[in-house]
Order: sequence, then structure tokens, then C-alpha cells
Amino acid sequence: MATTAFEHRANRSVKAWWRLTACALALMLVPALASAIPLFNRQTGQNCVACHAGGQFPELTPYGRLFKMTGYTLGVHTSLPVSAMGLASVSKVANTSKSDDPAADFQKNDQLIFATGSVFLGGKITDNIGAFTQFTWDPYATTTDSGGFKGEFAADNMDIRYADRFISDSHDVIFGVSANNDPSVTDPWNTAAAWMQYVPVPSPTSSQFIDGASPYPGLAAGSNVAGLNAYAFIDQTIYVEAGDYRTAKGLFSFMKAGLHDADVTKLQGNNPYVRVALNHAWGAHSLMVGLTHMTSRVYDDPLDTSDPSNVDRYRDLSLDTQYQFLLDPHAWTAQLVYSRETHDYPAALAGQPSPFVDAHGNALAASSNTDRTRLLRAKLSYVYQARYGGSAAFFNLAGTTNTANQTSGYDPATLTITSNATAGAPSTRVNGSLTGNPATRGATLESFWLPLQNLRIGLQYTAYMKYNGARDNYDGFGRNARDNNSLFLYAWTAY
Amino acid sequence: MKIHAIAALACAALVLAGCANPERSRDLGNPAIAGKVLAQQACSLCHGVRGVSLSPNFPNLAGQQPAYVIAQLTEFRSHSRQDPEGFEYMWGVTRRLTDDQIAAIATYYAAQPPAHQGAEGAVAAVEVGRKLFLDGAPDRGIPACSSCHGDHGQGLATFPRLAGQHTDYIAKQLRVFQRTEQRPDGPAMKAVAHNLTPADIEGAAAFLQTL
Repeated sequence: MATTAFEHRANRSVKAWWRLTACALALMLVPALASAIPLFNRQTGQNCVACHAGGQFPELTPYGRLFKMTGYTLGVHTSLPVSAMGLASVSKVANTSKSDDPAADFQKNDQLIFATGSVFLGGKITDNIGAFTQFTWDPYATTTDSGGFKGEFAADNMDIRYADRFISDSHDVIFGVSANNDPSVTDPWNTAAAWMQYVPVPSPTSSQFIDGASPYPGLAAGSNVAGLNAYAFIDQTIYVEAGDYRTAKGLFSFMKAGLHDADVTKLQGNNPYVRVALNHAWGAHSLMVGLTHMTSRVYDDPLDTSDPSNVDRYRDLSLDTQYQFLLDPHAWTAQLVYSRETHDYPAALAGQPSPFVDAHGNALAASSNTDRTRLLRAKLSYVYQARYGGSAAFFNLAGTTNTANQTSGYDPATLTITSNATAGAPSTRVNGSLTGNPATRGATLESFWLPLQNLRIGLQYTAYMKYNGARDNYDGFGRNARDNNSLFLYAWTAY
Repeated sequence: MKIHAIAALACAALVLAGCANPERSRDLGNPAIAGKVLAQQACSLCHGVRGVSLSPNFPNLAGQQPAYVIAQLTEFRSHSRQDPEGFEYMWGVTRRLTDDQIAAIATYYAAQPPAHQGAEGAVAAVEVGRKLFLDGAPDRGIPACSSCHGDHGQGLATFPRLAGQHTDYIAKQLRVFQRTEQRPDGPAMKAVAHNLTPADIEGAAAFLQTL
């Protein structure tokens, strides 16, 4: 009997998931890999669980935070200051039928892929200087004309530090300076924009709705800029940090190495970053409450910075708090972030007419001068014996409506919503926005297993209640938020 | 560009200035670094600057018997102490310590005022522990803790100070002695712990922390 298309898909799905599980099991059986250790592990000689809460990399324990703040300098010099990380995954979107071109809109859906790999260089350099630098290989960085993929290798997180610690009878002060390429990558808490989302997100479009691609706190200056920050941690209670970010160029070009110029964030002048946090630890508990503020001016066109007025201005403010209870064999973490962003458009982009009309053919409102968004994200996680864990997270993004953000709508010539590229105002399916409003709400449940201290196998399910401003028909073609619900299985390892 | 050039020069100056900083080094592989510096700059990340750790995951070391600290660090270094907390946290950091550094670390902690932290165990358990500490349970072959660890739990030579130690830490170590061979340095404790019930362990740990 011939298999139906559904059965074929189901068989392929089952095979892909089993293949990933088999790969993970195979990894466990390779003693050479099991005994290999990452860079910081070699430097301190300690298990991952010393620095990472419940072994759940990259979330830091109080000890891990101090290790980072003291400039990655604790331990011994390593003869091989290199580590590697890899992620294999399967992503599956709930509904792939509402699309003109499912192969393009949901690339590699339900297929096992090697999603990404990184090389880390760094560790202790001198008594006061250490580094954490990451370069990442993305096998799916670009799509070729023939529909294939082309891999690329580029700079990722960079944090090169000088740190010192002054201890007297009454005070304990850590002071440091960091050259880095991402505002908040320096932060020791994992509610920081650079760290709250941590599982690498595969580039194929089947991963566009997984948890890592859902709204997370972020700073508009992006992650390939050049910053110089100074920080202090006073009596393990008050953390203050101030930095300035500029375009990565000249001596700092390595911080954007490998990126296409069109993908490089071009900042205008100096862009200040400020972070303050209060930390309190008692017994096995630790609590941090903090604020982050950054103002950034980003050239609208990274390839043309000749017009100083063609700049988007962002003001980001976020309040974050993290509570940890770490007492072997239990590791609990609760995180909450509320962030607000104000985006002022360049004058040339504000007040522009929309290409779309309403259902009756009337013109839509002109584009706004300013957008405002508010994001709430909360997460609770638990790990037992640094081996079995799970988490539940909730996110809610809300903001102003702006016709400039509308990528679907009625074509003025036909008064229909069409994705025909030859139409006067073609609409975007699958990730389009009929509302021009960013409202996106959902939740993620995750369970994971660490069969080895440096191997995590996780399964995430992300459900959407709202997407791009609507629960139903958010793209104008009948796609509903829940159609984007995604399953993401990954095996993540570092050596 | 000017700012970045200045920043680069500043970084280069810091690199040169920061090659060696023996007064505040965290280098666990340099025999020239004083044990006191390592205690304050490295050990303190878990055990506190003055040997009083906030987290019960890590033992308080303030006022600890130096002979006991020397014995433990030496056994971590040789991997003969194998309890999970030992190998996860301590094997690596002790692997290159010299005998002199270990002795200096022990001296540093012995000189620190012992911890007096808030009660961590249940009040009812404290009474169970007090009896075990003072009288033991002769009918079950359990000697009084105080007979080796001192009237006030202050310890003596390689018998560690237990007074003020974290409840969770003591309970975990008693279970290590009772159920495993991961601390071969403590054959006496193996025998002592053999007949301890879970309530005894909870009680002893709760009482000792209040001392």
C-alpha cells in the first residue's frame, strides 16, 4: 500500500527525532569526547557546575559571576586556550500549510541539522587580563540562487577584560575594564539582554518561531559593535557599569570579523550604556535587582552613513531581577525582565504614506515618528543533580501600531490581499503583519537532560497566543498565532 | 577614532602593567603567590574572604584546625578525597598548589574569627543533636561527637572544627562517611556514622551549626 503524504511526513519526523537521540547517545559512548573539557574547565580544573547553575550553561552561579568579574583570571594558564561548541537540532512548526512556498518559509522543517558551531579563544592571559571570545560557524548563513545554503564564519561574543580585586578589612571591591562587542555581554547575570536567550537559534526558517526567536530583551545597538566599559562590584552588593559603544572599525574591526558590511551595525558617534544592580546573597539564596539603560543612534542604512540625519535613535530601559536557590542537588532560578524601548525614526522615514489601503480603498495613516514597545519576560527553571531540568517561560511584547511596520494589507489596485510579487503592494505571508503592531504573546515549556556535564539535550515547546498584533489572521492570509507553535529538539555540547 | 586609539593604548598599557600582580593574583599555578593571597583572591569566591561562606554548599573555614585544612587540601590534590563536592570544586583548584601554599592557606583560615550564622536547622532537631554531641548513643555504638571534636566542637588537629559549620554541609558529609568510601581519610567517622539514622544526621548537623 502506498504511503500517504501525511504518513511520509510522519515517518520522516520520527526518523529525524530518533536520529538526534541516537547521535546524543553515541556521544555519550565515546570516552575520548566524554573526557574532553572546555577552556575554562581546563583553567580552573572544576566541573561546569561550579560556574553554571545546575550545570545549565551559560547561566552563572555566584561563583561563576565572580569568576567573570575578576576577568576570567582565576586558575592556571592553559596550554590550549581553545574550546569548541556545537548544536544539532530539529525544529518543527505546527502548521506549514498556510504558505505559498513552504520549502522557503519553513526550511529544514522537521529535519535533523547541524545548526551551528563555535570556537572559543581566551581564558587567563595575565594575572589581571582574561578573555572570552567566540567565533561562530553558521552552515545556513545565506541562501544561494540555486536554493542551497552557504556557511559563514563570523565574530560572535567578545569580552576582553582587565580586572583587579581589592580586599581590605572592611571592603571587597572588584574593578574592571572590558573591551567588548555587545552591550550587556559583560553582565554577570543572565537576565541581561545578551544572555537571557542562550540556546543558539538555527538560521533555517523552520526555526523562526522557536523560543530563541520569540521576543527577548535586546538592546538596539546590536552585537557587532565596539565598546569599552568600566565596572565595579562593591562588597558583593552594588554593581555599577558604564560603557560607550561605537561602530567596530580600525583596531576594533576584529569584533565584527566575518560579517558582511550590510550586516554590521553602524553607530553614530558615542552611544552610552549604563548598568546598576543590587545583589544580595543569604544562605543558598541570591537575589539581584537591576536597571540597564542605553541610548543608541543607528544608521538606517549600514552601507550609507554619509547623511548624519539618516539615523534611528533608540532608548532602551530595562528592569531585571534574578533569584537563585542553589543547594546541591537542587538549582532553582527565577528570572523577570521588563524592558521598554523608544524608537525615533529619521525625519525622512517618518510621516510616510503606506503602500496599502484599507478594505474600502481608503489611504492608511502615515507612518509614525516614534514607536514604543514594552516587553515582559519571565522564566522559572529547575535542575536536579545538574542532570535533569525543566523550565517554564512567559513572554508578552506590546507596543504602538505603525503603518511602517505593516507588511501585509490591501493592494490599492485590486483591494485584495495578495502575495503576488508583481502587485503594486504585495503582502508577506507567514511572518507578515497585517496590523502594524508588534504584540506577540506566548509561553515556552522546556525539559532537558545533561547526560554529561558538557552535553545538554533539550526539548522546547513554544506556544503563541498572539503574533504580530493579532491572535487570528495576523498576516492577512489566514495564518493564526497558534499556527506558529514550534517544537525544538536540540543536542548542545561544548569541548 | 581618537577615542578608540586612546582606548587601545590604555589597553596595551594595562596588558603590560598586568602581567604579574603577586599581591592580588588568582593564579593557582604560580608557586610564588602567597597562600594568603590565594585564600583572599581565589578561595574566597566560595568560602568568603574571611572563611565564612554564605552558601551551605561550601564549608565555613574560619577558625578551622590548620592540620585538618592541610590534610583536606592535600587529599584533594592527590584525588584521594572523592566526594562529589570535592572533585567538582576542589580537585582542579588544588592541583598545582605547593605544600607551602597549602600550609599558608590553612594558617590564614585558622586565624579568622569563626562563623556565627543564623540557625539553619529545625529547633526539634537541635535537641536530638545536642544529646548525640554530648553523650553519643552508646547502645548503638555511637560515641559522643565531643569526644574527638572537642567540648565546644572546636576540633583538634586533624579532627575538624564543627562548631558553626553549615547544617547542609555536615549532613552531606555524614552521609558520605556512612554510605561511601569517598573519604578514606576518615575511617573513624565511617565507624561512627554507620549506625546514624537520618534523624541523627539531621540533628547533629542542626546542633553543630548553632555552636
